[in-house]
Amino acid sequence: MISGLIDLVRSRGFQADALRRRADTTSISFESGRLKAAAVSEQAGINLRVVKDGRVGIAGTTATGDAELESLADRAAASADLGEALALTFPRNAPHPPVVTFFDAVADVSLDALTDIGREVMGRLARDGVQVNVTIEREVAETEVANTAGAIGAYITTGLTVAADLTRIAGDDVLMVYDYYTGCGMPSATDLDALVASILTRLELALRVVPPPEGALPVVFTPQGLSAILLPVEQALSGKSVLQGISPLAGKKGQQAFDIRFSITDDPVVSGRPGSRPVDDEGVPSAALPLVAGGVVRNFVYDLETAARADHGAQSTGHGARGIFGKPHIGYSNLVVGVADGPPPGETRVFAGGLAAGISDGLVVDDLIGVGQGNVSGGAFSHPVALAYRIEKGEITGRVKDAAVAGNAYDLLQKIGGAGNDGRWLSSRWSPSLLLEGVSVARR
Amino acid sequence: MRDRLSDALRRSPAQYTEIRVERTWASQVSFRGPRLETATASEDQGGFVRVLNPGCGWGIAAFTSLEQLPAMVVRAHELSRAVRLDEPITLAAVPPTESDVVPDLDGDVRGVSLAEKKRLIEGYNGLMLGVSGGIVDTQAVYRDEITEYWYVNSEGVALHELRPEITLSGTATARHDGTIEKGLESIGLRRGWKSAAGHEKGFRDVAERAVQLLDAPSVAGGTYPVVLDPELAGVFIHEAFGHLSEADFVYENPQAREMMTLGRRFGRPVLTVGDNGAAAGLRGTLPFDDEGTPTQDTVLIKEGVLVGRLHSRETAARMGERPTGNARAISFRHPPIVRMTNTYIANGKGTFDDLIGDIKLGVYACGAFGGQTMLENFSFTAAYGRMIRDGKPAELVKDVVLAGNLFQTLDRIERIAGDFRWNQMGGGCGKGGQFPLPVTEGAPHVRIEEALVGGDVAA
Repeated sequence: MISGLIDLVRSRGFQADALRRRADTTSISFESGRLKAAAVSEQAGINLRVVKDGRVGIAGTTATGDAELESLADRAAASADLGEALALTFPRNAPHPPVVTFFDAVADVSLDALTDIGREVMGRLARDGVQVNVTIEREVAETEVANTAGAIGAYITTGLTVAADLTRIAGDDVLMVYDYYTGCGMPSATDLDALVASILTRLELALRVVPPPEGALPVVFTPQGLSAILLPVEQALSGKSVLQGISPLAGKKGQQAFDIRFSITDDPVVSGRPGSRPVDDEGVPSAALPLVAGGVVRNFVYDLETAARADHGAQSTGHGARGIFGKPHIGYSNLVVGVADGPPPGETRVFAGGLAAGISDGLVVDDLIGVGQGNVSGGAFSHPVALAYRIEKGEITGRVKDAAVAGNAYDLLQKIGGAGNDGRWLSSRWSPSLLLEGVSVARR
Repeated sequence: MRDRLSDALRRSPAQYTEIRVERTWASQVSFRGPRLETATASEDQGGFVRVLNPGCGWGIAAFTSLEQLPAMVVRAHELSRAVRLDEPITLAAVPPTESDVVPDLDGDVRGVSLAEKKRLIEGYNGLMLGVSGGIVDTQAVYRDEITEYWYVNSEGVALHELRPEITLSGTATARHDGTIEKGLESIGLRRGWKSAAGHEKGFRDVAERAVQLLDAPSVAGGTYPVVLDPELAGVFIHEAFGHLSEADFVYENPQAREMMTLGRRFGRPVLTVGDNGAAAGLRGTLPFDDEGTPTQDTVLIKEGVLVGRLHSRETAARMGERPTGNARAISFRHPPIVRMTNTYIANGKGTFDDLIGDIKLGVYACGAFGGQTMLENFSFTAAYGRMIRDGKPAELVKDVVLAGNLFQTLDRIERIAGDFRWNQMGGGCGKGGQFPLPVTEGAPHVRIEEALVGGDVAA
């Protein structure tokens, strides 16, 4: 299918690469305790990039019939006529590592079986005065990538997501708690237990509202709450940020920038995760890449274009991601955030990873409002809490409202107070809870 | 196409069937700094089928291969039959309508070359780059789109529309040592090529402001009388109140219904809020929503009292109210859900000067970098601010973040000026995985008696 398109553009004398993706999804949604809808979606599309006279052009389409491929190539050529000159080199064919992305049990699952999972989760979460919504989505996606230098790749992924949210309104107090399971395979009984326990634990701890603490305090960021801390670091480790001169980590490769126990690895070959794949969307074989190890900056991630633009001989690290429309860009696969001497994940996950025990006065941050707003790149953040809990004398004593946390991610990650035993995947990021010291907590 | 759709409807075994088909031609040109990032043209097409059967739930199918339409109607029917409901889903009645709307495209963007589009946005980008005193990076994006849209349902609605859209955006980044400031321009219009010209001043202004902000102090955190400019007031009412007035938030939840009981006082008599999908010429404007319900002006808060909410046919039937034409989908990939269109705070009286005349010390918060609400809590980042001193706007300040509780803040809106304007911005609204939905917000200057302002939550 895609090789025909590559042949077509090659015959016009262009270099090119292309991605074809087809995704079939089946989803069911339970609203307020009852199954309301079942849906299927079948979508396919092609993204084409050509190099014509040394200039790069892009075009995308969801009209994938043979007749439309000519017009796709025409549009890509017209785009290249305006494009800037760039010495883009497409990779040759190379072996891809084995990666497990496909599970028969997911591909073959029946609507009834999905409904049974939904009913079970629904039933276990049902509470008086609480609205429960559950959605389950199954996806089977085929990806094909090829270029005129001979690289080809094709793989099929399955995906299954069970998401549940719970809303409790009492007067003008609105509490929302949600969590989800996602993976390439079916959730095990343990996965569903963990999902239910995660939501119910956070609901029960939230029923009591306590006044927020104030001052520079120890704060436990749950895997979910960590997003505000990790976002600037994820941005800074992108080769594009380096190229644009906005990465605070630029020029620090090989230097200690974080706590000596802190590490981040991008791992596309881990088994059965949403970001797992044998080859990236530009035909570069997948490999795990340490980004931060022992607190030292090891690598930045690159796609083909950013590598070609970087003036220091950078190579693509296999982090090209592309949709049907628009041009390929840098994207992480699965990010694994670790702390060297952190405890192994416990049999059953404890909320906040057991880190509250050693804290006399502090906070657990599970969700913040406005993450990503404002100047992310410098590492400074300041957010009202969406869901946070007070720690007093080693115990989580209740939910705090009307509080805000602030700090600088780079400063806070210099000294990690501890890692929880609750390490888990949250979509395509794995991390435990982290205890960070001296976070500004203010009442408002 | 009309015949194919009628044929598919006729063959549908389901009790209720609706079909949407969309074809979209889009092009985008973007610059990063002086460099062209992309110049692309894309084509997107697909269909959406949703059916309902007695005693059953929704069956839905979305697809990109239009030849699959008849098969997808059957799939949707089977899915609906698989969802057994004790309590049936009912839809509020909507009159049958046939409508063919081909608006003045205001210069069909499909007849303009990519090269011309590139020249236009390159010009705006150049104005930002040309501002002296510290602009280190820019981003400028031109995007246009024309969607040909068909909608039919088994209750006699048949629509055909052409929907044009054009958006221009600019980000100017200024830097001096470790200080980085940004200026944002954003224009979104349901119009065509002719409306893309003439925006030079906006692009230049945001770049100049980014440079000025380098030397501006952060606002000192604290509680102040706060005046919102029309842009920020519009974003505020959309985010902080608009989402709560979407009936899918309340219709299945008795506690939420209680919180949002019609007749409840939400503000003082100066405050009137509404959503008007039929307002002429705005980005959130359409003749019908994605269930074939005509759009309308729906008053949500009248003189401080909750009087209405936004509905789909399903939420309206469930709550015994009337559909308001607010069931919208961002594309054929998604089902329609309850969304806003053009949301506004209605005009008050007097001028901006009248509004601030008796404020000894306050904050004038302008523009919006972003905002998020978690139901009753919100946080908004203004693009910039000015202190108000002795009744007059004074020095420029930055890091103006407003955070608070919705109910308290609405109740503290004490005065509203008579200088209403719609803010024709780009971007869009996100909900339920559907982003960006074209919407518009409008407001006059609004004065809040007291609000917490902080760039820094000093501990």
